[in-house]
Amino acid sequence: MGAAGSALNSQLSAGIKEVNLNTALIEARSTIFTAEYRFLLAQGEKDSVVQKVVDDVISSATTLSANENAREVVFKRSPGNTRENNYEIASNLLDPTSIPATLSERVRKTPDLVYQYTNMNYLTGTRVQGLAIGQKVQIPNAGQYEMYIIFSLANQGKTLDLISRSFFLTGFLLLFLVGLITWLVVRQVVKPVREAAAIATEFTAGDFGKRLKVESQDEISTLGLAFNEMAESIEKQIARLENLSRVQQRFVSDVSHELRTPLTTLRMASEVIHSSKDGFDPIVERSAELLVAQLDRFERLLEDLLEVSRFDAEVAVLEAVDFDIVLLVQRCADDLGLVAKERKTQIYVNSTEPVIMIKADIRRVERILRNLLSNAIDHAEEMQIDVHIVASEHDVAVGVRDYGVGLDENALTRVFDRFWRADPSRARTRGGTGLGLSIALEDARLHNGELEAWGRPGRGAHFVVTLPRNTWERIDQRLIPLQPEDYKA
Amino acid sequence: MTLVMVVDDDQDLAEMLGIVLTGAGIDVDLVSRGDEVMDVFHNNPPDLVLLDVMLPGLDGIEVCKLIRAESMVPIVMLSAKGDTQDVVKGLEAGADDYMVKPFRHPSELIARIRTRLRRTNADVSGLLTIGDLAIDVQAHQVARGGKQIALTRLEFDLLVALAKEPGRVFTRDALLSEVWGYRHSTDTRLVNVHVQRLRSKIEHDAEHPEIVVTVRGVGYKAGVMGGS
Repeated sequence: MGAAGSALNSQLSAGIKEVNLNTALIEARSTIFTAEYRFLLAQGEKDSVVQKVVDDVISSATTLSANENAREVVFKRSPGNTRENNYEIASNLLDPTSIPATLSERVRKTPDLVYQYTNMNYLTGTRVQGLAIGQKVQIPNAGQYEMYIIFSLANQGKTLDLISRSFFLTGFLLLFLVGLITWLVVRQVVKPVREAAAIATEFTAGDFGKRLKVESQDEISTLGLAFNEMAESIEKQIARLENLSRVQQRFVSDVSHELRTPLTTLRMASEVIHSSKDGFDPIVERSAELLVAQLDRFERLLEDLLEVSRFDAEVAVLEAVDFDIVLLVQRCADDLGLVAKERKTQIYVNSTEPVIMIKADIRRVERILRNLLSNAIDHAEEMQIDVHIVASEHDVAVGVRDYGVGLDENALTRVFDRFWRADPSRARTRGGTGLGLSIALEDARLHNGELEAWGRPGRGAHFVVTLPRNTWERIDQRLIPLQPEDYKA
Repeated sequence: MTLVMVVDDDQDLAEMLGIVLTGAGIDVDLVSRGDEVMDVFHNNPPDLVLLDVMLPGLDGIEVCKLIRAESMVPIVMLSAKGDTQDVVKGLEAGADDYMVKPFRHPSELIARIRTRLRRTNADVSGLLTIGDLAIDVQAHQVARGGKQIALTRLEFDLLVALAKEPGRVFTRDALLSEVWGYRHSTDTRLVNVHVQRLRSKIEHDAEHPEIVVTVRGVGYKAGVMGGS
């Protein structure tokens, strides 16, 4: 806009200059013509008359009406004019050197009017811009002279100043208006859009209650209304899904609870039968044993299901106490020693320190350990099981390594999935629930810890659980490398 | 004969409990509604109450409070919920012990009942003192300055266990085996809740206990009061 403004400004000032020039040329022509005519009439008159004519010409040319630019007249004797009478003169104390030498040269070469811009220097010291126009004239009894009329351009400068000042003023006003309009547009359009973006962000973060304020009646408000409708619909959907999953979890939990009472009766009845089995027929005796064993299994499944439903409902609670994890690992290993022996394997526990105190939920940590050990026993294939316990200031890690069937790539990605079994064709001899590892993972995460698995087919598996020694903190580092050090690819 | 009141609304379970307990030589009174408990309790006072949490009429927690208000009889809660809040609520209402359904073995239930009925500390004779309390083990009485303090059987056993070995620090596991007869349990909630209840009865200021003192990270011990 500034560029357009200054282009307009310079065009306008060029126009003004041209008009001034033309006016000056016309005036100069007529003045000089009048002067020539009068000199012609004064042919043959006395010198005093000629002098008077010169004075008259000057005074009539320099007499100004109101609002007219100053004009000065200069007579110069042409070079080569050696006549006695000298009428060289410059009006109003104008310094005759104000006439540029180049202009004088051109005047001498042509009988026509010639002009050139110059500075008007007065002997008083004043100096203004001017336009000098000159032509040759014949003065009676004095030969050839050059007559110059110099127009002051002081007014023109003022006009141009005024114009450019108005231009600047208008420019500033326009700039201000543009700013104002921009601000209004920003207020009307950008602000609601920005608000919508902010609310969308909160929405993503899970705050589904946020809505846009719709105040106006334009496209922006339509956008706002559409946005709010979308928000409303999303909130409803989410509430519906949440409710659905709540109902489902509630159902699982209720079912598990409701099953407990008949299961208690069943257990007691089966125990009573089992305790007097010795007198029975061998078939009945075996049936009693199976009944008791399957009830055990059923109960474990029920417990696990209930635990899973607690995790799903996010109501699992940590009850942290201080205890020695080395002792706990040892105790779990001892408890499972018999089972291990049955499967012709053995558990070796070794710890970097004899006692490692941690603050955690002992019931859950015990469950993680039992699950890992039972899992290792199930897959050990009569080879030993090594348990390593490593502690740092901040964390503790337990690694359970077996050298049995191992796990392939696919199994590793699914080993923590619920009810997933490494090989469906494998007999479920131990009667595990299929939920053990997934519960162990949830237990570890509840402690801000991590449970990870490594395995190679035929080369065994390695499960590492890392827990912060104080359950409210996060683990800093993995103390046991997941890929066992004994493994060479 | 020992009499156990079984309060459970599930007829089959109640009958089964009856069979198991009778088989162990224990008489059984079956009650199926919470609001009928107190009448039966008054007519035929039992030696122990086996109380289900969810009952029609009046829930087990309320029944437990009613019994506790007038009797120190041992109460074992039966709960289908292992959730901490329910267990703690039952213990705070005055239950001595709880069992979560389904029980591992009927024998476990009977062992638990026998522990609660057993005269614990029969080996300890005469008078014990702990702080400014005088304990008459035989008479099952605790007094401060000649004034009797009423304790439940379990609270009494807990206090005696601590008092008979002053200065020994008992871990929670040790107390569980000594007082509750658990061989192998990590359920320290039982101990915590009962220590709190005991303190509220015997301490001058339960917030700053001087008789049953906490040993941080380990357990509890009998405190030695300054000057006494």
